Amino acid sequence: MDVRSQIAMVFHLDKCIGCHTCSVACKNIWTDREGTEYMWWNNVETKPGTGYPTKWEDQEAYRGGWKTDGKTLSLRSTGKARIIPNIFHNPSQPSMDDYYEPWTYDFKELFNAPEGDDQPVARPISKITGEHIDVESGPNWDDDLGGSQIYARNDPNMEALTPNQRLQMMSIERLVFFYLPRICNHCLNPACVASCPSGALYKRGEDGIVLINQQVCRAWRSCVSACPYKKTYYNWSTGKSEKCILCFPRLETGQAPACFHSCVGRIRYLGNLLYDADMLPEIGNLPDDQLVDAQRRMILDPHDEKVIEAARANGIHEGIIESAQQSPVYSFVKEFGIALPPHIEYRTFPMLFYVPPLLPVMSSKENDVIDNDIEDLFGDIEKARAPISYFGSLFGGGNDGVVRYALRKQWAVRLVRRHLTVGDVTKETAERALAEADCTWEQADKIYRLTTLASMDERCIIPPFQREMAIEMMEDPHEHRASVGFGFNSAPERGN
Amino acid sequence: MQISRTGRTLLAAVLVTGALAAPALAQDVSEETVNYFKANCTSCHTIGGGRLTGPDLKGVTERQGPEWLATFIVNPARVINGGDAYALELKREAKDQVMPTLPGLTKDLATKLVELIVVESAKEKSRFVGLQLSDRPLTEEDVAYGRALYNGGTAIASGAPACIGCHQVDGTGGFGGGRLGPDLTDVYSRLEGRKPLAAWLAAPPSLTMQPIFADHPLESDEVLSMVAYLKSTAESGRPTPGHGAFAFLIAGMAGAAVILVGFDLIWRRRFRGVRRRLVMESK
Repeated sequence: MDVRSQIAMVFHLDKCIGCHTCSVACKNIWTDREGTEYMWWNNVETKPGTGYPTKWEDQEAYRGGWKTDGKTLSLRSTGKARIIPNIFHNPSQPSMDDYYEPWTYDFKELFNAPEGDDQPVARPISKITGEHIDVESGPNWDDDLGGSQIYARNDPNMEALTPNQRLQMMSIERLVFFYLPRICNHCLNPACVASCPSGALYKRGEDGIVLINQQVCRAWRSCVSACPYKKTYYNWSTGKSEKCILCFPRLETGQAPACFHSCVGRIRYLGNLLYDADMLPEIGNLPDDQLVDAQRRMILDPHDEKVIEAARANGIHEGIIESAQQSPVYSFVKEFGIALPPHIEYRTFPMLFYVPPLLPVMSSKENDVIDNDIEDLFGDIEKARAPISYFGSLFGGGNDGVVRYALRKQWAVRLVRRHLTVGDVTKETAERALAEADCTWEQADKIYRLTTLASMDERCIIPPFQREMAIEMMEDPHEHRASVGFGFNSAPERGN
Repeated sequence: MQISRTGRTLLAAVLVTGALAAPALAQDVSEETVNYFKANCTSCHTIGGGRLTGPDLKGVTERQGPEWLATFIVNPARVINGGDAYALELKREAKDQVMPTLPGLTKDLATKLVELIVVESAKEKSRFVGLQLSDRPLTEEDVAYGRALYNGGTAIASGAPACIGCHQVDGTGGFGGGRLGPDLTDVYSRLEGRKPLAAWLAAPPSLTMQPIFADHPLESDEVLSMVAYLKSTAESGRPTPGHGAFAFLIAGMAGAAVILVGFDLIWRRRFRGVRRRLVMESK
């Protein structure tokens, strides 16, 4: 048993209101420099939709993640035979059009336009060429466009649906959408790290945060195509790639990452997990539909004496083990079993988990009366608007069972709360629902509390980083304090 | 460094003796001088072997004095341009081939070479009598073998590169040969026949060929076959006219264009976009 600690995250999708506050917080801190205009380390997508960059889930086009022959994993994006003919140009990466051409507006026009019959407008200007452009796409171009004939229709997850279901997802009054906030998953088996010819990417040993060394990066852009979530971006100004750093300077000073901190819907949970790295080679080659369960097996119980013993033997600090025991991520993923990894079939084993949304139930409107009667409201998750298999494709590696389990348990919690607070659901109904959902009263209460009432300190359990100790070993802490901060100590430049 | 110092000492000694008792008939000619003669003179001259491109040097000192000879050897072109009657006669005899000015040939060394010629002329049979090729008639097999050697179809035994790398002759087809060296189609007639050509082939004296062939000489049967082949081309072929180079340029550009088009086809999806296609398809 090779126990390691990993900072992991849970996003509760039922709570996301799609306000993009997280994206803006991130952009203001990290990506408001030249060359990073188009980078959204955090973005919020509307699903069904093609996301950002367009159709990032289509690995036929982008060749991200790992493929397996049943015995060994290999990168889809590159290999001995592929690397030579594509050494000067990697065709499997998003073009600027698949992201978008960053733009600003010619605001002077508003003030300097000559007097005329028309209201002056600020024309968009490309931030790359400085020329006037017609804006054709943006980082959230299909925001709230559920049922769009271009974007929703081409969502790769739609392939998991039957033609009838697909039709339903596109038809008026039946169509549905929800939000999917995305950041780097800080995967356990990161394809970006494996693909880098320069060895610029690494996964931090103490917390598993995946980073790009700006001094080592040589602009191969292998990581851009290898990452199946398209969360590494190439900075055209510095000639280096960049990605989400999980705000490690904030984490190291005990603050939640900016996107977590600013989240209006309080959908984000952060905590560390202990996992067994030895299991990775074995479970990496399992069939797609077994991967969710396998990844859960890999995550270890931090209360188990044997695990604690092995963690100590691996040099994991007592404080980190304690923090893992309080981790809300452990509760959501292992205890409740309601948080699921996105597209685990890419086999990078993402460490960001999503609680799938129950979504509003069906309602119908007749004679100006909105009708969502109790039968429909608490009928069955199978009658929910979004087909289970859509979530199965997104969060289950094609396994609808794990999604059904997660939704049923949330459904049961909802019935329990309805019984306790409103009283229009009988105790028998609630108990039956709990039994069907493999849930207890205590667990239902815990899920309810963590979902609704948890404060910032409960949602984000930041493990102690012992940076002081680590720094003390290397240099005088006072000197170090004077030499660090946000931004670059030495700016990354081309050619170094 | 060592050699040149030794060389200088020897030359100084020669000069001193030469000044005191000219013409010196030193029997102990240095190895260096012999090597120099072998490498630079024997392709055009023999000593007692008859005329090649240049005249037979046996008893040359009886025709002209050592001083005149040394001056001539150091810079033949200057003497000829100076209007020396005997030098002009030599030029006429050599069909206007002017003896090249050899690099590193000083007056001292020239004097030394003249001494060597004197010594060798005195011998019954000089070691520089020249390549003794058989006089047998050249056959069709010789021509075929020479052609194979020329094209590189058969490797030259010593490992020397095939002629086609640098030279072209009429009838090698396609793009002919390389263009570094001169066209060899009529070299047989230019060099005036079998013996001078064979001498050239046995020890090529030109600055470009010498360093390559010094350690990889042709064997005598190879020389003969090559002579046979070049004789056949001289009799039947014509030197490739100048437009060959232009054709080569055009063909090269066409080839490059084909390759670029090929690259473009193989990597035609390199600028594929995903989003724009979706929008197009929905229209």
